[in-house]
Amino acid sequence: MMLKRLPACLLPILLTLLNPLWADAPDGYPFLPFDEAMNQSQAEGKPMFVYFGRYGCGYCEKTNREAFVDPEVKRRYTDHYVLAYVDAESGRRLRLPSGERIPERELGTRYNALVTPIFTFMNAEGDPLYRMVGVQRIEDLIEADDKIQASLSQAERP
Amino acid sequence: MMRVLGVLVLTCLPLQTVLAAGWSFDKAIEVTPQPAGKVFHHLDGAGRRNIAAGDKGVALAWEDDRDGTPRIYFAYKAYGGDRFTTEQRISGEEEAYEPGLTALSDERFALVWEEQGAIWLRLVRFGDSPALGPRIRISHEQGAQATLTSEGDRLFVLWSEREGRYGRIRSRSFRVQGLDPLPQSDCPVDAAAPTDEQLYPAATLVRGRLVVAWEDRRPKHTIIMAAAEKAPGACLFSEPARISEKPEGRNLPYGTGHGVSRVAIDCVGEDKAFAAWADKRSFRNGYDIWGAYYDDDSRSFGKNERVQDDFGGLSKQRHAAVAGLADGELVVAWDDEREGNTDLMLSWREMEGWSDDWPLPVASGSGLQGSPSIVFDHAGNLHATWVERQAAGGTTRLLYAFGRVEKR
Repeated sequence: MMLKRLPACLLPILLTLLNPLWADAPDGYPFLPFDEAMNQSQAEGKPMFVYFGRYGCGYCEKTNREAFVDPEVKRRYTDHYVLAYVDAESGRRLRLPSGERIPERELGTRYNALVTPIFTFMNAEGDPLYRMVGVQRIEDLIEADDKIQASLSQAERP
Repeated sequence: MMRVLGVLVLTCLPLQTVLAAGWSFDKAIEVTPQPAGKVFHHLDGAGRRNIAAGDKGVALAWEDDRDGTPRIYFAYKAYGGDRFTTEQRISGEEEAYEPGLTALSDERFALVWEEQGAIWLRLVRFGDSPALGPRIRISHEQGAQATLTSEGDRLFVLWSEREGRYGRIRSRSFRVQGLDPLPQSDCPVDAAAPTDEQLYPAATLVRGRLVVAWEDRRPKHTIIMAAAEKAPGACLFSEPARISEKPEGRNLPYGTGHGVSRVAIDCVGEDKAFAAWADKRSFRNGYDIWGAYYDDDSRSFGKNERVQDDFGGLSKQRHAAVAGLADGELVVAWDDEREGNTDLMLSWREMEGWSDDWPLPVASGSGLQGSPSIVFDHAGNLHATWVERQAAGGTTRLLYAFGRVEKR
């Protein structure tokens, strides 16, 4: 209710204050560790959307604040994908389908997450389908979702 | 005409023959026979101390999952020998990770690792009467990312211990008697309680004083911080100082700063140390290998130096390992993808700065060679171990090579 009475120009400032100053996964999205996301992706038959970020990453924060806050982006990405967040400097361990246990940092290396952010659509086996590097705008994320959904629909046709 | 011919010949020669590397490397040795089925070896302990040089031989510590569970193993090779001993399992029954290794006197070695969310220590003797000491838990609470360093019978173990929400770097020292570590001191490196994560320590001794560097997230991005003991054995440290510099002219409206990761450090000469890490200050090109000297006279680190040469600028570098000698010899090794596949690259300190980068001949070319750990023996020979894969994500082999010193 209160948000409705706020002048529109104050909304970005409020969102800035609500968001953490350092860049993790965007708030309000059900991002999972990569291995859990892969299991869920296999169970649900949904592709993964993998966010390779880094603690303190400026362009991750910009994308979080300017694109992931959009309700349409949130609806599409939450509905269409299993979301995974990988901190490309983290030592948190993941178990890969091969059985190997590696830290998130090594996973970032294997997927060539040379810079951050990198957003990669993957199938349930972890094979990259489409990759976006650097800051993304609302329209970039919506366009990418359109492309992925269109190609999935095409693939499902007999 | 002769000049043109000369240039052509030089251009066609492999890089290693043009560069005056100080070591001639023997053929790589496979440390442990390849078990049937899938196995993944890892050399990923904090500070990259997976190899240690004793008086009579060289020892390795690694993690692999040959029986389906990640465990810590140890093997030893006498200098001049052509193979390693059958590996000895060091860790207990649970999943174990990220081992570190250091040499003590009398052909004894100390190993640390993470198991059951805690840090464990075990001593090993090789030579005439091989023996294993007991496994001893040394972290108080949940611990991870252990490293260690030693001098004679003095042993120092450092790790990141959970304190509430954050990891905090702790130091414990021991006086080693036989295969028993007798506790001496125990303290946090930073006297102030952590305000964010302190991770992946690396440590060395300079004039008996413990110098510690680690990843620190207090500015809400990762930086390298360091502190030195106020007096040898005091377990009381200087105020931590940031040693990874902030690049000039970068004030982005978003984010908090550039990334760094995984510092390694070793003593160089009588009164210095060198710390190296992966640094993303050139943020469009990923991590490069940077480092800084510690000078014990000023008890501080100097300006940052880019260790790698210009040709690595657009490719990935990571996993920096450092080896120093009392005569000032200093080498940094890392993984490097400039030639397509991952190779082991070395650079050493020369009078004018860092040498051109040199792909280690026995750890470059086809396949992926990475995660190096290096050490000098007392004669100045360079020993290297690394992990090799034929394909990204594929199974691994653990390899070792001896680099015979050629220039002294």
